Amino acid sequence: MFRNLLITGASLVALFAIACAGAEPTATPVPPTATPVPPTATPMPEPTATPEVERESASVAPTATAIAAATQEAKAQATASAEETATASEQVETVEDSEPEPAARDFDPRAGGVFRLLGVDPTTLDPALTTDSTSYELVVELFGGLMRLTDDPNQPIVLDLAESFEVSQDGTVYRFILRENLVFSDGTPLTASDVKWSWERAALPETGSPIVKEFLGDIVGINDIVDGNASSAEGITVVDDTTLEVRIDAPKPYFIAKLTYPVTFVVSRDNIESGGGSWTDSPVGTGPFVLKDYEIGVSMTLARNERYWDRPAYLDEVQFNLVGGSALAMYENDEIDISGIPTASFERVTDPADPLYDEVVDVPPEFFTHYIGFNSDLPPFDDVHFRRAMNYAVDKELIVEAVLQSRVRAAYGPLPPGFIGFNPDLERLEFDPDKAVEELNMSKYADPETRPRIVLTASGTGGSPSAWLQAVADMWARTLDVQIEFQEVEWATFLQEIDNKQLQLFSLGWSPDYPDPHTFVDVLFRSDSTINPTGYANAEVDALLDEATTEPDPARRIQLYQQAEQIIVNEATWLPMFWGADGKVLVKPHVNDFRFSPLGGYFFKDVWLEKDVDF
Amino acid sequence: MLIYISRRLLWTPVLLFLAGLLIFSLGSVTPGDPAELMAGPRADPESVNRIRERLGLNDPFMVQYLRYISNALKGDFGESYRYRGRAVFELLGPKFRVSLELNIVSSVVALAIGLPLGFWAAMRQGTWKDPSMTNFMLFVYAMPVFFTAPLLILVFALWLDWIPVSGWSGMFSRQAVLPAITIGLPGAYAFMRYMRASTLDVLGQEYVRTAHGKGMGQLTVNTRHVARNAMIPIVTILGFSLAGMLGGSLIVELIYGIPGVSRLALEAVFQRDYPILTALTLLGSGMLVLANLVADIMYSVVDPRIRLRA
Amino acid sequence: MNRSEKSPASEIDYVDALDLEARDGFIRHAWNEIRKRKLAMFSVCVLVILYSIGILAPIVATHDYTETNLAKPQAGPDLENWLGTDRLGRDIFSRVVWGIQSTVIITVITVLTSSALLGLAFGMAAGFLRGTVDIVISRAGEVVAAVPDILLVLIIAATVRPRIKEFGYWIEDNTFISGVISSGAIDFIVLGIAFLPLSWFGAMRLIRGQTLVIRQMPYVDAARSMGIGTPTILLRHVLPNVITPLIVSVSFGMGAIALGEVVASFFGIGVQPPRPSLGVMIGDVTARTGSAAVETLRNHPEQLLSPIVIVWMMIFCWNAIGDALNDILNPRAR
Repeated sequence: MFRNLLITGASLVALFAIACAGAEPTATPVPPTATPVPPTATPMPEPTATPEVERESASVAPTATAIAAATQEAKAQATASAEETATASEQVETVEDSEPEPAARDFDPRAGGVFRLLGVDPTTLDPALTTDSTSYELVVELFGGLMRLTDDPNQPIVLDLAESFEVSQDGTVYRFILRENLVFSDGTPLTASDVKWSWERAALPETGSPIVKEFLGDIVGINDIVDGNASSAEGITVVDDTTLEVRIDAPKPYFIAKLTYPVTFVVSRDNIESGGGSWTDSPVGTGPFVLKDYEIGVSMTLARNERYWDRPAYLDEVQFNLVGGSALAMYENDEIDISGIPTASFERVTDPADPLYDEVVDVPPEFFTHYIGFNSDLPPFDDVHFRRAMNYAVDKELIVEAVLQSRVRAAYGPLPPGFIGFNPDLERLEFDPDKAVEELNMSKYADPETRPRIVLTASGTGGSPSAWLQAVADMWARTLDVQIEFQEVEWATFLQEIDNKQLQLFSLGWSPDYPDPHTFVDVLFRSDSTINPTGYANAEVDALLDEATTEPDPARRIQLYQQAEQIIVNEATWLPMFWGADGKVLVKPHVNDFRFSPLGGYFFKDVWLEKDVDF
Repeated sequence: MLIYISRRLLWTPVLLFLAGLLIFSLGSVTPGDPAELMAGPRADPESVNRIRERLGLNDPFMVQYLRYISNALKGDFGESYRYRGRAVFELLGPKFRVSLELNIVSSVVALAIGLPLGFWAAMRQGTWKDPSMTNFMLFVYAMPVFFTAPLLILVFALWLDWIPVSGWSGMFSRQAVLPAITIGLPGAYAFMRYMRASTLDVLGQEYVRTAHGKGMGQLTVNTRHVARNAMIPIVTILGFSLAGMLGGSLIVELIYGIPGVSRLALEAVFQRDYPILTALTLLGSGMLVLANLVADIMYSVVDPRIRLRA
Repeated sequence: MNRSEKSPASEIDYVDALDLEARDGFIRHAWNEIRKRKLAMFSVCVLVILYSIGILAPIVATHDYTETNLAKPQAGPDLENWLGTDRLGRDIFSRVVWGIQSTVIITVITVLTSSALLGLAFGMAAGFLRGTVDIVISRAGEVVAAVPDILLVLIIAATVRPRIKEFGYWIEDNTFISGVISSGAIDFIVLGIAFLPLSWFGAMRLIRGQTLVIRQMPYVDAARSMGIGTPTILLRHVLPNVITPLIVSVSFGMGAIALGEVVASFFGIGVQPPRPSLGVMIGDVTARTGSAAVETLRNHPEQLLSPIVIVWMMIFCWNAIGDALNDILNPRAR
């Protein structure tokens, strides 16, 4: 889920009226993580927002187990099977000061200053309604929940408002102990009943949260509220002001990981009831920042929350410029403190002779895979030879180097390098024009006269598809004499049409929701998965995936996924295009501790400035 | 004249009603549904339907429009589709003000360049200077903003570092300089032509010749009689240039990052946010019609012949 | 768009200036006058060249406009690629040439449908029939003219495209005609429709004014008394006399339409790839929000300037001719 958001955000930016497909990275200055993603129109479907929660959770279950597993592994430096972890974590106790100590440095962080960056209007600031990355990044600054995510890959989940929690023997009852003397940003105390109220409020039909079942539906009684049959969840018990007991419907060790997501955040009852429909204009939360000022389409200012339970943020303010403009020029003119690097300037900026060179900061690679999907139910893509021909005909390495300045890596399978289960020995369909023609001639669509019309759909607002897509189309045209047409539809419609398996050929990206091959191989290719955008169905693959879901031995499990992946790649239901690579952004030298995490997102709480900037 | 003006006044609301209808009706031509857009990706049909109910999208088209107009009369221009729960007026108001400010400064720049040049050219009628200046200004006028705007940013903001690249802090701020020049410079051409024509008109008038005959100095005649009288008809087109520029500042606002209506308007076009588009149309058309009306009245005040004719 | 299009004074002046004595042989008169003016003559020549390039694009272009050359992206001008190459190594010169063709097609289409057909028909109808017809046409024109023009173009282009495209598919699937979509025909229809409301009004008003004058002429009265029907009178007596204002309004409108096409394509709702257009080319190198314009100008000026210079020349020349005609017709302001 979490990893998806950022990319979704990038695509929302793209959707955002003018920055249509092929938009330069500068068009999405906000999430620096979006910078290395060349196809800004890379929409990542949002599995959690799917209405069919039942099927969803079924697919999430075994893998989210793996989250816990991964976390445990990191801590214990030992391998434990997912099943074992589930039962072994009878009592998970986390120390309060769980954050890693910052490395020693010559000078200490100092408080003060304003951090300025380009931003995009959030869809909402209501945690219960947050499904996209733009909103997400702001909501996590303004609100908090029992748990939160960090930028440390070894310890992605830590305690936030909760001081500790215990899990019962059978794994269905969680007892959370809140920190002492918690207060909201307006100074009112926060107790366990606020948590209960917030969760029940998120579930109310009139709140209209599209994802509440996904994240809180495990709690006994929540689904009844969502369905309008109850107003209170029996599974949530307020023991005393700092103790909350939560009963869930089955032992699900990944439950705790879900509590990092905004829909579970604590909101202030006073705030919502007095604010009515516009309460998010002056939201009250428990995040490191408060909303100081927001003018739609103009600017948004976050100010330090002095009442934050932990060390308050160093920055006085974070200012988002929501108007946009010439990003790099603004950066050079000291009007913003961070900027992506536009394609046109990439060569100049990354030249060591350029004064900006010293300010280029590497962003760790992201896990994502961008691909062109072939709908295997619709002609001509119902023919495996035709799909393979389309695969062999594209020289991805060349596109990556020449068009995208190597900001991504050429992809050959669903799983990106470095991800759990990545198979370096995967047999690839590499660029080979001769094989491409050979496969085309074997297919039943070899004759261009009788070949059906091919339309490639991407999300966007019309106009030029991304440069790389045009390059791909040209390679198809030249190697195979296959002509395609482009079509761009706006994001919401695009996702709907993908859901309905209406699209014949489409450009789409996918980011993992959890560190497990399941999030790629199972979710995207199992014949009965809700997501499966290409409509791929292969009984052999399904059998392998079924086996993997219940396989207790992690090594064997990975092997099963790799076998399935190999079949999928051979059957060419995708043309895998790109994997994430190291990205580059510009950050002003006086900005410290602005770190990027492969888990996505960044946190302003630790950012500090060496001097105040005049502007 | 009075009858004419009152007839126009009566026609104005009808015109606005029809102009709004034109835009509003385009919304029903498009496939797709604003409710689906509002509900966001992957929302369930139930919640989409709820939104549809709430917005009254199930009603017949004319009912929707009449409801919109009757609300608009009460100052309620509806709710934006994209920004859930935001009143259109609240969204549009501050941005419209910024665009208006931008266009006012731009008009001032255009006037400040156009009027003296037009006068200057008229006084040199018959020499090579007159057509050269006119042609040069036409050349400037034809220059696409796709070129002027980045060029000015590059030179004045980045190389010379005189002026900020982006933003807006009022029409008297330094940030206003570059965008105002970008829009005002080409805008000066129209003013220059009008001023030139108008000056030539005045120069041919009886009283100017009389003034010369009375032995008044060239400079005095020029300033006291010619320039002043020549400027009068310009007043009437000022309103038009203001109202007309609103469209012209679209790209300029984007490149300079000015929080005017352009981004909102484009977003509304792509996201089919018809409440916003209709409100924008009503505002823009309203301004143009108003400018028309003011021009008519001004004309009759400035040029007594029209009054007599009426 | 063209600011002079909507100014009230100029329209009033034209009608005044259409002195009937100058009617005979006006076109020859105008041509003689234009030949005397260096700038107007220059503009005519430039436009003739540009339009010839556009029409002869398949011959003039040195490369296929979709042909990518990833071994040579973002290269500067050289003997092979006269204006350099874009991000995909495509030849900018050839794309500009084809882009000119897009502009040529759209300006011609709009002039034919909008100014010539609608403007002429409505203008003559309103001016000759007067009464209700006149009121309805004039009022409708006022309503459309009151809507901010760029907004109207963008909204129409964005809304009608899906419908027109469906129609294009239907034609391709059900008739022997193919290539409707890939030739860009759909885009031209969409843009033609989008420009329709804002370009007929100017022509209509001028033609209406002229028709009003002509219908008072003795020979029209004479014709009517001889029992000649209205259509014949319109065709034989009115039409030849309204060609003049039509030419004036067309020459002023052309620059505006060329710019309108560029703006619409810039925002991605005009001409669609793979067909190049000057607006698409500008949009491609400025990230469509204009946010990359500064960077492109700084690092690869030829990519931004090649299409811009053409647009610049077109607007300049059309307006120069319009101004010249204006002067010729309107001796008072000379």
